[in-house]
Amino acid sequence: MATEQVELRGHIIDSLILAKVMDVIIDAGADYRLVEVDIGRTNTDQSRAVIEVTTGDDSSLEALLDELHVHGANRIDPGTADVSPVEVDGVLPPGFYSTTNLPTWVRLGQRWWPVGNPEMDCALVASEGQPGEWVARTVPMHRVCAGDLVVVGHSGVRVEAPNRPRGATPFEFMTSEVSSEKPKALIVAEVAERVRRARSQPGAKVLAVCGPAVIHTGAGPDVARLVAAGWIDLLFAGNGFATHDIESNVLGTSLGVSVGEGTVVEGGHANHLRAINEIRRYGSIAAAVEAGYLRGGVMYECVRAGVPFVLGGSLRDDGPLPDVITDVVAAADAMRSLLPGVSVALMLASTLHAIATGNLLPAWVETFCVDINQAVVTKLADRGSHQALGVVTDVGLFIRGLCDQLCPPA
Amino acid sequence: MSELAWGRRFLMCPPDHFDVAYEINPWMSVEVQADPERAAAQWENLVSCLRQAGAAVEVMDPVEGLPDLVFTANAGIVNGSQFVPSRFRHPERQGETPHDVRWFSCHGFRVEELPNSVTHEGAGDALPFGSVLLSGYRFRSDAASHAHLSRLTGAAVRSLELSDPRLYHLDLVFCPLDDRRALVAPLGLDRYGRKVVEATVPEPLLLDDDQALSFCANSVVVGTNMVMPACPPALGRRLEKLGFEVAVCPVDEFQKAGGGCRCLTLALDVSLAVAA
Repeated sequence: MATEQVELRGHIIDSLILAKVMDVIIDAGADYRLVEVDIGRTNTDQSRAVIEVTTGDDSSLEALLDELHVHGANRIDPGTADVSPVEVDGVLPPGFYSTTNLPTWVRLGQRWWPVGNPEMDCALVASEGQPGEWVARTVPMHRVCAGDLVVVGHSGVRVEAPNRPRGATPFEFMTSEVSSEKPKALIVAEVAERVRRARSQPGAKVLAVCGPAVIHTGAGPDVARLVAAGWIDLLFAGNGFATHDIESNVLGTSLGVSVGEGTVVEGGHANHLRAINEIRRYGSIAAAVEAGYLRGGVMYECVRAGVPFVLGGSLRDDGPLPDVITDVVAAADAMRSLLPGVSVALMLASTLHAIATGNLLPAWVETFCVDINQAVVTKLADRGSHQALGVVTDVGLFIRGLCDQLCPPA
Repeated sequence: MSELAWGRRFLMCPPDHFDVAYEINPWMSVEVQADPERAAAQWENLVSCLRQAGAAVEVMDPVEGLPDLVFTANAGIVNGSQFVPSRFRHPERQGETPHDVRWFSCHGFRVEELPNSVTHEGAGDALPFGSVLLSGYRFRSDAASHAHLSRLTGAAVRSLELSDPRLYHLDLVFCPLDDRRALVAPLGLDRYGRKVVEATVPEPLLLDDDQALSFCANSVVVGTNMVMPACPPALGRRLEKLGFEVAVCPVDEFQKAGGGCRCLTLALDVSLAVAA
């Protein structure tokens, strides 16, 4: 894909120049977007249009721009990105460009280069591979190294406006990103369809981010079924989710409450600590599975199916489980390293991990945030994950529905 | 119906140094030279035809080495006391501009220039009609020049893409006759340009391809008199029916360089309407 903006000025409406330019673009098999149109009010007022032209490759774009130039459409000088070297590891140069999670291009050496891994709140580091061949990537602040060339200012940086999922779907009429007043069955079916569609793409991955409420609401076995059936390729969670999943499978309780009967078990308040303690004795969740201590549940299925998981720690964690990465920066880095290829993210009753994951995801990842609390979904969007579609419902019911859609009983 | 408000006073340049010295349009061939005596006689005849039609003719000095200075229509655009000199596309003609600018400066015109990033070849590619200025582009003038032209003159410009390299200037395609009519050669316009002309000219007189390639549109209109380089009978009858008196003034020596009657003249009494 190659894109440039051109500007037309003059009496371009009455002269049919604007219409002609749009026809020329379409006839060339290219696409356009009217970025700006300022139509003169009187006969003498000039009009102005800024048109973004997109073609399949650079050479067809150049040919088209030459043709458009004949009609007075001049390429807007997009400027070139300014870069400044990092002087101290982990410290960005002043005026660094702060990224969004939208598809981003950087103009270096008279060409636009795509940023491979959009992520919000990072810096753009540019490096020249072959002479004249640039690679631009997002790098979080703590990972920049002295000598890295960081883009500063806004010149020569372009982002693409976000798109909503399209199609005649229940989401079409969801004008609000969050709603508790929508038919849930339809939405569950739609999410299942999105997961199926994602999985039909080669290399596309489905990510689940789970909070402890998934286990508390009794949805653990359903998530485990989804993992076992191969619908989930990647799991992010915290110490709580993994602990209660293990507790419920080893001791039959989640935070001391019997998952089978919903009653408080005597001495159950310590059950999760006992579970953590046993896993610590084995050294890891995988070792506990290997030894036959852990025989079911989400974490068990992940280990069996080789589904990678990242358990990120937090200040109030009990234990924690030996697999929990307690250095939060290292945990985020571990999550980041597994993200390439993710095209659907299911945020299931998780606040902190959903927001942390949202911060790492490019805007093109279809993100569904399921929570009983509308504030969680709002919070995710407020922190920049505008692509997230919220489903306000009980997560247990939602996952059961999703599991029924994706793993129907034989 | 009212006559054109302009076209009573023209600038011309005698063909003392006229020649086909280079090839910058499909009509020019250095192997087909002009006959200097015949050219001079045709030019003199044109001057007298115009004067007979009731127009005044002013003359600028010819310059050696600038054979096309004779085509004064390309000197620039006159708008009242304002003169916007041309920015010629071909280097062969760029030497004309300082001489044009000098003449207009000496004759009380205010010279205002187009930026040098664009080309525009004056009245050859810009003709007023009603409240707008129609301006051609592609072969000699840039479309991008039109916005600058509008800014300098205040005129509403309608851009017309020229589509036939033989009709490389607008004045070979379009000729205003009065406030409602104009000669139009569809051969020289693309489909958008034809639509724009349709929307601008209430009663266009369409020229067929032969008439267009005989430079019928490159005529000079002086009130109800027309001085034409050629006029096939069918066209003549149509024009006479509309009340025009046609004088055919052959300028085929100049046609060897791609010019007709209009190209040899520049109207000095044009005031572009500043539309509200």
